[in-house]
Amino acid sequence: MPDLKPIRVLISMLGLDQHEVGAITAARLLRDAGMEVIYLGRFNLPAAIVKAAADEDVDVIGLSCHSWEYMHYLGELFELLRARGLTIPVVVGGSVITREDEGRLRAQGVAAVFGPAVPAEDIPEAIRRVVRGPQPAV
Amino acid sequence: MASDATAKTIYRPDDVAGLSYAEDLNDPGAYPYTRGARAARPKLGAWIQRELSGEGAPSRTNAQFKYLIDSGANGLDVIGDTPTMACLDPDHPASAHAVGTQGVSLCSLPDYRELYADLPLDGLTISHSLPASFGIAGLYLAAKERGIAPARLRGSTIQAPFYCEDCGYSIHMPFDLRVRLAADSIEFAAREMPKFHAFIEDTYYISEGGLDPVEEMALGFVEIRYIVRELLRRGLAIDSFAPRIAILVNCRMDFFTEIAKIRATRRLFARMLREEFGATDPRSLAVNIASHTSGLSLTAQQPVNNIVRGTVQALALALSGVQAIEVSGFDEAFRTPSPEAHLVGLRTQQVIQLEADVTKVMDPLGGSYYVEALTNEMEQRILALVERIEAMGDASGLCDNGWFRGLFQDAMERYAREIRDGERAQVGANIHRVPDDEDTLLREVAERKIEPCRERIDAIRAFKRARPAGDVAAALREVHRVARGADNLMAPIIAAMMAGATMGEITGVMRTAYGRVYDPFGMTACPI
Repeated sequence: MPDLKPIRVLISMLGLDQHEVGAITAARLLRDAGMEVIYLGRFNLPAAIVKAAADEDVDVIGLSCHSWEYMHYLGELFELLRARGLTIPVVVGGSVITREDEGRLRAQGVAAVFGPAVPAEDIPEAIRRVVRGPQPAV
Repeated sequence: MASDATAKTIYRPDDVAGLSYAEDLNDPGAYPYTRGARAARPKLGAWIQRELSGEGAPSRTNAQFKYLIDSGANGLDVIGDTPTMACLDPDHPASAHAVGTQGVSLCSLPDYRELYADLPLDGLTISHSLPASFGIAGLYLAAKERGIAPARLRGSTIQAPFYCEDCGYSIHMPFDLRVRLAADSIEFAAREMPKFHAFIEDTYYISEGGLDPVEEMALGFVEIRYIVRELLRRGLAIDSFAPRIAILVNCRMDFFTEIAKIRATRRLFARMLREEFGATDPRSLAVNIASHTSGLSLTAQQPVNNIVRGTVQALALALSGVQAIEVSGFDEAFRTPSPEAHLVGLRTQQVIQLEADVTKVMDPLGGSYYVEALTNEMEQRILALVERIEAMGDASGLCDNGWFRGLFQDAMERYAREIRDGERAQVGANIHRVPDDEDTLLREVAERKIEPCRERIDAIRAFKRARPAGDVAAALREVHRVARGADNLMAPIIAAMMAGATMGEITGVMRTAYGRVYDPFGMTACPI
């Protein structure tokens, strides 16, 4: 029986990164794909993101990154999630994410990485897989 | 863009039938300045060639400046890191991982001394992508300390009071304070630094969200008109400050549209200033246009293609007769420019100037049926949108109720959709792609990261501990007092910097004077 409840996704940026184009585009893309988007926007530190994710009971946290701050904040973010006993998957996207970063991010526990080479239309499906696991072919 | 959809494949004399050479074009340097702001080319032989720079501590950026000057740059453009652009000190907890990575970290008077050390401040032009009041105060003080008269300083600073909160330069200030700081600093510079362009209308960053060229210029003109009216309301004469207004435009890939946009902008500005605002000084009517090639048009895929894009855009700008050009780094999708990208940007400009020889004749496209028809069309469409926006009511209301933000969000979404759907071709990104593992040329340079400059955090903490605390507190109280009244804020800001106060502190007490919290992140306490 497929889960018909829409996926709730939190979209946020990290630290002082002000390049919002990616976050806004991702939010609209996911909303158009039928997900419920909680848009947290700019200027969020890990504590605020984790609190919002818990308060809003989201299925997945999506971080849009166009500065290098994600390299330093993700460890703190995962610690805070663990401390609250939350197992919400975290996905990260942005043009500044390189192939080497991708390996490092996955090792840290990031569930999906959307670098510049990933076509935008693949993102909703990847998020569905992250939240619901691989779907059987119909 | 929309005009291309209706464009014909050939233009004929009847497309410009009503065009009058004397009234609509005229020679470069003559009203309405469509063909150029100046009658003759500058002594430099071309435009000001500069590249956006700034990383790490001020001393590292100073070394970057010297490298660029040695490489042939005849102007500088300094950009602050994200904490600096947000008016946060490097020791603010939210700054920790962003100090010096995407620009230079600047917050105190000694920082500006270090930034400008050894530079011939009265012999080159320095453009500032910094919170304007602080960039002006820092340059003014650094020059004075070295015995250089501020009246001799050349260069510019962007002013972004309308759209900064929505478009990437958020400083967490209310609209009225943002406009006041812009007007205060323009008024101050008009008196103290009369050769300095203290009012650059930055339509570049507006456009980089994905707005089209008509929207870009219309929003720019809405802001210019508002600030001009504010300065007139203060009792300033139009010709006392209008010569110091300049516009920093974007240049994307729509080659002829961008050229027409720049020509239309010069004409529109001249007509507006003369007919509507009563300016008579020719320098008030002939607007200087500076330009950057578009970062948004660049791709993370196949970064080498970005060099070609920069060349095409820089050529359009050279043909438009702009006063200054910066070529965005080929690594723009990843970072602020690397030394390699800096050099490529400069060399692009030098090849266009010295080898292609396209500047021998001014406005070489003038008289083209197509370019003139497109220039007319751009002028009409920009003006129509300005009128539409102004008819909607006071701009402060449009800012505060999110109307502009909605416009930016729609534009971002529209641009991304055009790329996604292939409606707007991006070679290497949505057409003619190569497999990611074969996409290696220049990738290594583009993907190199800069570590946050954590020494800066310790250095600023030490600086703050060593200051005479009483002087700092007194100076901050004075900033707060003046901010609650109506006097010009530049004098107390300058005095506070001299007393050792930092940008974060000065900004914070101005916020509290306007009923806002000292620290928008709620992480630091107000020192007074």
